[in-house]
Amino acid sequence: MLAASPILKAQLDPFREHNRIPKLDELITALDFEPVFHAKLPRQVYNYTAYGVDGEFTLRRNRQAFDWVDLVPNVISHAATPATATELFGTKMAYPILVSPTAAHVALHPEGEAATRQGTTAASNTPMIVSNVASLPIEKIGAAATGPFWFQLYAKEDPELNRETLDRAQAAGCRAVVVTIDQQASAYEREMHDRNLTPASGRRGSTREVKPRTPYRIRDFRLFQDWKLFAELRKMVKVPLLAKGIVTAEDALLCLEHGLDGVYVSNHGGRSLDYGPSTLEVLPEIVDAVKGRVPVLFDSGVRRGSDVLKALALGASAVCLGRVPRWGLGAYGAPGVQRVLEIMQAELVQAMAATGCPSLAAIDRSLVRTDFP
Amino acid sequence: MTRRQAILLSGAPLTAQRLAPIEELVNTLEMEAMAQRMLPPAVFSEIAGSDRAAFDRITLRPRLMVNTLGLDLTLDLFGQRLFAPILIGPTALQGRFHPGAEKAMIEGASAANTAVVISANPTIPIDQPAWLQLDAVKQVIPPSAKVLILTAPFDWANFDRLRKATKLPLLIKGIMSPKDAQLAQQRGADGIIVSNYRSPSVPGLAQPIEVLPSIAAEINKKIPVLIDGSFRRGSDILKALALGARAVLAARPPLWGLAAYGARGVQQVMEQLQSELARDMAMCGKVTLQQLGPDLVRIHRR
Repeated sequence: MLAASPILKAQLDPFREHNRIPKLDELITALDFEPVFHAKLPRQVYNYTAYGVDGEFTLRRNRQAFDWVDLVPNVISHAATPATATELFGTKMAYPILVSPTAAHVALHPEGEAATRQGTTAASNTPMIVSNVASLPIEKIGAAATGPFWFQLYAKEDPELNRETLDRAQAAGCRAVVVTIDQQASAYEREMHDRNLTPASGRRGSTREVKPRTPYRIRDFRLFQDWKLFAELRKMVKVPLLAKGIVTAEDALLCLEHGLDGVYVSNHGGRSLDYGPSTLEVLPEIVDAVKGRVPVLFDSGVRRGSDVLKALALGASAVCLGRVPRWGLGAYGAPGVQRVLEIMQAELVQAMAATGCPSLAAIDRSLVRTDFP
Repeated sequence: MTRRQAILLSGAPLTAQRLAPIEELVNTLEMEAMAQRMLPPAVFSEIAGSDRAAFDRITLRPRLMVNTLGLDLTLDLFGQRLFAPILIGPTALQGRFHPGAEKAMIEGASAANTAVVISANPTIPIDQPAWLQLDAVKQVIPPSAKVLILTAPFDWANFDRLRKATKLPLLIKGIMSPKDAQLAQQRGADGIIVSNYRSPSVPGLAQPIEVLPSIAAEINKKIPVLIDGSFRRGSDILKALALGARAVLAARPPLWGLAAYGARGVQQVMEQLQSELARDMAMCGKVTLQQLGPDLVRIHRR
């Protein structure tokens, strides 16, 4: 009887119901975009964005880690209008926020990366890191809007292929190149389930006739990667060059040793190695090792402006968002990307104001109390 | 033979308990649900569940940009070359789980290049060369034995008698403290297996992976240290190898595979563990087992 009561039904949270798509201005936080994204997209596309590797331990830990860090306001006064402007590799940014490289945006929205570019540009020229596995040609993405963009590379074994890809990205105007060095052999169980539920014919990867290079039935085409690769890439890249996927101080130091211009702390949003650490818990040791010599970028699990502030307090120079703009794009196209980024920017300003940070320069570790396990 | 087993052997479809096509199962944990569908509750309960909390308190520290095309999981253990550091642990009376019993288990294991430890109490007598768990009292050593395992608890006098009677590699299974590990080594054991078998239902009992570091430190590589205890993922195995184990025994996952799909299920479970271990090693920048050490892991307080 109670279950059928209209009074009880009225108490349900409409945002968690998928039978109504809210208007864009009804959404208050970035997390509000995910149910809409889920409602509007096919299950496989949603899964591709949502999942992590194996048992998703690291995926969960990325979010848990923000609960292990408390913001501790260190002044009595409220900073009225915190200054958030910064500069990264010569690019002026209104906020220390970028868009992480993520694959195949046409699956999320017909206009794909072009729409993401328009949305990021509209959101105070947020730099967008365009994925190597974008669904549109880099030239088209570059021309779609005027805001700054970087390029992400998955290095191939054949240097000539890398040269061609990098030449095109630089000609299109990318201002930095990020080389993803994790996810060497990841396998996604949710994707395997989806594959099992759909006919195999024509599915990518289902009929690859390549002689395996190990006897262990694993994906092997990235196992060739080696630090020496950067000597080769360095010659092909005229813009700043970074490595993405760093989760240890040792590898951060190797980035410096190999002449890289920045360290990008990431575990691929929990999609690389399961049971790897959350990025937030290793950020302090990496920042300590880098000692301010190059910028340290950060991603994996950031959903709130306060998350951004916590990463900045632990030493990140800027923070990148992967799933958040994907939700915006899938749910509402370019205006969704713009809106979700503006929400993150506004939340950062709010968090800075509430903790008494007048500027990014005022943010340091005294702003947080950490209790990592 | 149970009715269910008779139906299975007849090839008739099981309408009430749908068994997923084996290709749909993407990890060893999913195999457990399939075993549950095939077994009477009382039998399933004997191989149900895992205690994985301790693995969740250990994270990996992956090192990147190491060429791992030469990935090699092989090892030499007690005079044998193993394809991977994963064996199948001993379980009594496997006919409870599948009519093929130990024979199907061995067949699946061989297909996956895996050694099996045969229980002291099998459903079907096994006379092919194998690792054998021995009854501590009877101590009948069949000519087919290649490695002998004595499972605690037992009398040291029993162990000493066996040690005098054979030159075969002799292992003690059930060590949970550095003190016992040291005793085992001093009394001439060729290896130990860290394991809390027989006491899994005692709340608050330490998990083998938690006591492994102190035992490995005590043994200091003088004899091989093996381990079992809720290993379900390649990353679990990698953690144990990093903390000083030479190899890991899996028991329930291959039994789940056996119960649900017979030899094919055993093979798939063991191959999945091998593949996951290989993947995780590659992603941690490790090419051989010798490169694994404690710097690969971080042990957390909670």
